[in-house]
Parts: sequence; C-alpha cells; structure tokens
Amino acid sequence: MGEFKVHRVRFFNYVPSGIRCVAYNNQSNRLAVSRTDGTVEIYNLSANYFQEKFFPGHESRATEALCWAKGQRLFSAGLNGEIIEYDLQALNVKYAVDAFGGPIWSMAASPSGSQLLVGCEDGSVKLFQITPDKIQFERNFDRQKSRILSLSWHPSGTHIAAGSIDYISVFDVKSGSAIHKMLVDRQYMGVSKRKCIIWGVAFLSDGTVISVDSAGKVQFWDSATGTLVKNHLIANADVQSIAISDQEDSFVVGTAEGTVFHFQLVSVTSSSSEKQWVRTKPFQHHTHDVRAVAHSPTALISGGTDTHLVIRPLMEKVEVKNYDAALRKITFPHRRLVFCAKKKQLLLFQFAHHLELWRLGSTVATGKHGDTLPLSKNADHLLHLKTKGPENIICSCISPCGSWVAYSTASRFFLYRLNYDHDSVSLQRVSKMPAFLRSALHILFSEDSSKLFVASSQGSLHIIRLLEGSFKHLHTFQPQSGTVESMCLLAVSPDGNWLAASGTSAGVHVYNVKHLKLHCTVPAYNFPVTALAIAPKTNNLVIAHSDQQVFEYSIPDKQYTEWSRTIQKQGFHHLWLQRDTPITHISFHPKRPMHILLHDAYMFCIIDKSLPLPNDKTLLYNPLPPTNESDVIRRRTAHAFKISKIYKPLLFMDLLDEKTLVAVERPLDDIIAQLPPPIKKKKFGT
Amino acid sequence: MVQLRPRASRAPASASAMVDEGPPASEEEAEHGLLLGQPSSGSAAEPLEEDEEDDELDDEAPEELTFASAQAEAKEEERRVRETVRRDKTLLKEKRKRREELFIEQKKRKLLPDTILDKLTAASQTDLKKSPVKLKEVKLQKKNEECEQGSDSKKAKVRKVQTVGQNKSYLALRLKDQDLRDSRQQAAKAFIQNCLYGPGTNRTTVNKFLSLDNKRLPVKKAAAQFLNHAWGSQKKQNAKRFKRRWMVRKMKTSKK
Repeated sequence: MGEFKVHRVRFFNYVPSGIRCVAYNNQSNRLAVSRTDGTVEIYNLSANYFQEKFFPGHESRATEALCWAKGQRLFSAGLNGEIIEYDLQALNVKYAVDAFGGPIWSMAASPSGSQLLVGCEDGSVKLFQITPDKIQFERNFDRQKSRILSLSWHPSGTHIAAGSIDYISVFDVKSGSAIHKMLVDRQYMGVSKRKCIIWGVAFLSDGTVISVDSAGKVQFWDSATGTLVKNHLIANADVQSIAISDQEDSFVVGTAEGTVFHFQLVSVTSSSSEKQWVRTKPFQHHTHDVRAVAHSPTALISGGTDTHLVIRPLMEKVEVKNYDAALRKITFPHRRLVFCAKKKQLLLFQFAHHLELWRLGSTVATGKHGDTLPLSKNADHLLHLKTKGPENIICSCISPCGSWVAYSTASRFFLYRLNYDHDSVSLQRVSKMPAFLRSALHILFSEDSSKLFVASSQGSLHIIRLLEGSFKHLHTFQPQSGTVESMCLLAVSPDGNWLAASGTSAGVHVYNVKHLKLHCTVPAYNFPVTALAIAPKTNNLVIAHSDQQVFEYSIPDKQYTEWSRTIQKQGFHHLWLQRDTPITHISFHPKRPMHILLHDAYMFCIIDKSLPLPNDKTLLYNPLPPTNESDVIRRRTAHAFKISKIYKPLLFMDLLDEKTLVAVERPLDDIIAQLPPPIKKKKFGT
Repeated sequence: MVQLRPRASRAPASASAMVDEGPPASEEEAEHGLLLGQPSSGSAAEPLEEDEEDDELDDEAPEELTFASAQAEAKEEERRVRETVRRDKTLLKEKRKRREELFIEQKKRKLLPDTILDKLTAASQTDLKKSPVKLKEVKLQKKNEECEQGSDSKKAKVRKVQTVGQNKSYLALRLKDQDLRDSRQQAAKAFIQNCLYGPGTNRTTVNKFLSLDNKRLPVKKAAAQFLNHAWGSQKKQNAKRFKRRWMVRKMKTSKK
C-alpha cells in the first residue's frame, strides 16, 4: 500500500441542513428529499440509493411540502407562498406560482395526479389543475379559521381531510364545503396543553382518517360520522409525520423523540377475517425530530432534524435476504464539497452560503509508522468568501495553482483571482462574465490552471482560457440535438488534451480539447456515474458507478483496457459491491502508474493493477500485515485492493505529493453538537 | 391580522385580474375614497375635543349662562362648522380638478410620442426606399413637424429610454406586497419555531443530550461543549488589551 504522511483535517465545519420533507415516487422508484435550507435532492433507490440530482436551496424558499404528481413531475411549496415545479432534466426551477394565500404548509396531489391541493396560512384550501406545462388555479374550498397544516386525499378523489390546529375538517371535493369538523382533544396525559396541532392526516379508502398530533396521539376517525374510533398514545412529544402504504395495510409515523413506529393491519385472531390496526415495531434510528416519513412498498423511509435519511427495509416484504435488505443511513451529500490546490497545499471548503480557504499546517518532526506528529505551523484560515444574494452555492472549484477560485449559484457565476503575499491573500473579482455563463453545474480547472471548463445547466460545456486577470471564451460544446440532459461531472486529463463529461444517466462523453470536437462516447451503463478521472500519461479514463463498479477506458484506443475486462470477467469481491456509499473521488499516484486511489465516506482504497484480483474467498479488508509475518504469507494474501478504514466519515482524500496525503474528516458528534436541541428523555442510571 | 383579510379575499380573483388593467383603476378609486373620507373624519374629531374642554370646565365651577348668550354661542358654533365643511369641500374640489387636469395632461403626454414614433418609423421605412433626393424633402417635413409640435423630440427620447427599460434585465415589484409577504413568512417561521422549540416543549440542550451516553461509558470523557466561550468575554478582552499595553511598555523600557 505504501507509506504516507497524512494531513488529518478536522476543521471542515460542515453541518448538513435538516430534512423537512420526503416524497416517494413508486413509478420511477425515486425519492425526493427537501431540506430546511430549501435544497431538494433526488435519490434513485434502484441505483443503490444514489443522490443523482439536486436543486440548490434559496434563503427565502423554506420548503414545507413536497409531492410528485402526474407521474414524474415534482412540486414543492413553502413559507414564501409559492408553488414551485422543478425541471428534472435541466436541473433548475421551471416556474414558481404564487398561491395568494400566505405561507403554504401542506400540499397533496390527487390520486389521479391531475390536481394539486395546497393548504395555506390563512386557512384556505386551494385546488390547482395541473396542465401539461403549468398549473392553474381552479377554486377555493370553504375557508377555515386557522392554518391548514396537513392534507390528504381520499383514494377515490371525492373527499379530502385537512388537519388544522385543534380540529380536522373533511371536505367534499365537488362542492368544496366542509362536511365534518372533528375536534381533537387538547388533553395530554391529563394535563391541558396549549394547543393541539395536527401534524399529519391520512385518508383511507374505507373512510377512516388517521391523524397524528402534537399531543403524541395517533387517532383513527370515522369520516362518515365524524367520530373518534380509536386512540393510540405513542409518545411524550409531538408525532410529526405519517405515511401510508399503497395497499393500506401498514403505515409509519415519526415522533419528535426520534422514534419511528410501524403500524400494521393485523387479524384479531388467526382464523377470523376481522382486522385491526396494531402498533408493531418501533425503530430508533434518529436522535432528533423525525419531520418526514415515507412508505415505499418494501421499506420505511424517514428523515429529520438530525440530517440523516434512513431507509429501513421491511423484512417481511423483502424476497431475497441479501445486502439490499440492510438498513441505509445517508448523511453526507454524494458529491464533493472539498477541493484541493496541491501545489500551494490549500483546501477550499464549500458551504451553503460561503467558501472557506485554508492553508494546511506543516511539521518538521519525524516519527515512525503510526505516530501522530506535532504541528510546527498550524493550519491557516486564509479566506472566508460569502456569496451575494440569497441563493445557495451549486458548485465551486480552486485551480491547482491556487490562484483562481470559481463558484456558481443558480443565477450567477463568479470567478476570482487570488494573489498571495506571504500570509495575506488579496482577492480580485473578474468582472464582466459573459452572458452564457449564468449558472454552472460543475466547474473544473485544467492542471496547468490555464483553462476553465464549465458545465452549464443548458447541457453545454464551455471552455475558457484564463489570462492574467482576464479571460477569453474559446469554445462551447453544444449538447447533442434532442437531448436536454445536463452534464454534472467533469474530468480533464493532466496534459489538458481530453475532457470527459457525464450526465445523470447517459454515457460519458470524451472531447478532444485540442481539436475541439467529440472524440468518443463510452458505452452507456445502467447505473449513474459517481466519479470520473483521467490518468496521467496513459490517458485512461477511470469511471466509478453507483453500484460500485469501476471501469477503466482507454481514450486513445477508444476501448476498455485489458485490466478492466479482466475484472469484469472475474467480478468484484462481494464485500466490495456491498459498500453503501458511492465513490466520490478518484486520483492517481504521479510515480506509480499502476495505482488508482479512490475513496468513499467510510474507506480509502488503493487499487494496484499489477497484483492479482481477489476472489470471494479471500479477505478483502485486510488488516495491516504485522511486521514479523513471513514474506511468503504476505505475498499469498496480497491482492489488488488495499483498503484503509482509519479515516471516517471521510469527505475528501487526495494525494498532495508522492509521500503526503490529505484526509478531510467530519465526525458525527461535531455535527450533532451544532444541531437544534433534542427532546429530553429520562434514561435509567443517568 | 387586519392586513391579512382584504388581501386574502381578493387573492383568488387577483390571479386572473392581474392580466387585465383593472387593478390600477380600482386603486385610483380607492385613493379618491380616502380623500373623501379625510375631511369627514376630521370634523368628527372636532366635537370630541370640545367635549373634553367642557369636561374641564365642569371640573372648575358651574357658570351661569343666559339662554340668549347660549343660543348665540350655539349659532356661532353651527355657523363655524358649516363654514369649515364648505371650505373643505371647495378645497377638495380644487384638488380633484387639479388631479383631473394632471391625468389629462399625462394622457396627452403618453399619446403624443406614440403618434410621432409611428410617423417616424413610417418615415424611416420610406427613407430606405426613397432615393436620396427625396430624403431632403422628408427631412424638411420632419423639421416642420418638429416646429409645429414643439419639444416633441425630447419626449420621443424619453419614451425610447422607457422601452429599453422594459427589457428583462430587472423585475418590477411592489414593495408593499413584498413587505407583507416577508412579515407573513416571519410570522409563520415564528409559529413553527414556537411549536417545536418554544416553552412547554420539553427540550434539553445538546450538551446534556451528548452527556447521556458519556455517563454510562466506562471511560468518562469531557463534555462536547466543555467551555462556554461566552462567559467573561469583557474581562478577557480587557485582559488582552492590558497584556498588549504591558508588552509595549516593557519593550520601550528595555530599549531605553
């Protein structure tokens, strides 16, 4: 594996924002997740839970509701009173429509998917018709006294249930009038609480309405008579979310204590056909409030203030008991947030609204293997660059020489020139960016920092030559006609001749930068690309996919390399394929052309192509070999995958020079320490 | 809450009403209504003040009044009130008149440049077609037109600037709406914050929460937020300043 001096960086003070809503789409098996900063992410559950798309947040766009409608169309609504539709191809906001009812708290698409219902702050429920390219206001339902915090359609589409403060109303969709008003008890364990907020409702096809509220109750109501049928007191705190399965035989609720309860419709006795709702399983995967839950056919999905997205497969629904049936916990974004200027030993950290530039510390001490060396010079915080305007940063990059920094928001592109003067940095913005550079999905500098590659949201790739303090537009690769898909990953070869770009689903395109034309397209693969890199000298393109497959493609020969063919023939180790976080970064050793360095959130791996591949019987995660072991055994157990799990959760790892690595870690405890306070719980013995 | 109501009732209609030119007209009407309302409210306020004065008199001592004097006083009062009302009315009339004149003038201003522009565009099109000999004639005609209509060319310029401004380089917003929206959003955020983290929600602190695990661990660690950096910040600052001064003083003395 080789010995390295490792910079162990723990000053990347990144805190993901909490999850506010999740929405599951059965048709495409995708999950939309919205966060408290307005970011919306889309996870592809059939592609190994990979976060394949994301829409950057906006300060004023606090998303409160998210839903899929008409198949594949995604809508969100929030406290700024607007309903937003997202363009899933171009990865931007298609349009925003003001509902004119104040902040929107809830939204639900009709079972047929052609209508959209929103519940507003002023107590109005508004019905929108979904037209092919927009949504159109249709009518208002009877106005209620207080805000509508939750909504649910009857599966037939004739009635809706709306949860408000202290009561639930049932509306007739045709007339738009409230037919029942069901008052919810404010009493909480015998003590009168302030107000009972109905956080969620679900309408079943037999007319039952299930409500969850701030007093910790799950209640079953008969919507025909407007009476309470059953009451489960499940928590000492708020029950904040509910989601029901399509078959209506189970549902899931999430509480502020971080517990997720599974309810199932179970026969009373083994022989009778009479069934009743029973609380079956509690899950405690969260430490903070569970603000949103979803129910896919095979799994319970929950997310909350503690920023984890948890996917818990249901054992009785899983047919094959393989690794897919294991619990998934997604905390960090599946894209890079850390960029490195190797020559100057600088790290650029990307946050939602600012960038931070740090210079790594250094040491003069030496030690033997495994020692922690004292720092002779601490890491320097050189720059704190705040964005202008309310939009979040989509992507950023620092040039390898460290003298250029670029970042982009949804509407503007910024390029800065940095000048270093001993310990101080001066910053100069490059003004007059051309009009076509409005927003970028990925930015990349060439190895010699003379060129800038920008993947714009319209699907085109721009090449810009950087001069001292100015720039010149060289060329634009237009997307192939008929495709609107935008590129979101770029890689450039160290000699600057080749540029590889990959979109969200189609194959990887390789462009010749010298002759400015498309060179070839790597055959499309079923799973999205998570990382790309081009090796120096050989110009081999290494591609990592979300199902943990790694391909090596020779650009000059336009074919897969021999090594890649062998490993595909033999197959990867089964433990390698079972890792659950995608590979986010690939790099190469400048002196050892046979090595590929890659990492995901929990391991760092060096693939040595000269060694034999492991088969399923060999140990994949080999512990560091003891020094007294004989050479023979070591050679027998040695295989191509050298894996280190010392650093985790690992956000970034790269080679600074031949003997130095930099690893950026983000311990989970540091994140929890910056989250909002959790509910107080009494633990025995504390 | 008073602000919320009229907007909400208007809300569904305004989506469609935004398209036609209804709203500005209705706003003008509203302004007129306000103007009408002002004097009446003013006159209503006056008697109130008088009542107060009366109260004060009552406090001092009852004064004897003959019927005749009281009658005269009352008549005088009535006359005064009538006069003020009439004066207000005339003032209002004058104001309205001025306003109407202004509107007419504005309309004229709006209309004139359009016609000229039309003429000009027609002229320029013909220019291209016509031979250069005829061009001079056209120019002469133009000059005549300009002489006739005075400073129209200036107005045409102004108009042009406006059309350039109509480009999509910026977005026109009514600040009043934005303020209302922001305040509502703030209120909604405050509501959710109060629901989740307000009093009576039984929240602990992050430090206490993290200490739960630590308490049951065999190896006890320091608390996650061991130091409260907010404590004694003033004292720390003072100490820092003192240390710097002390250093400077020491340097000076050592140099001597």
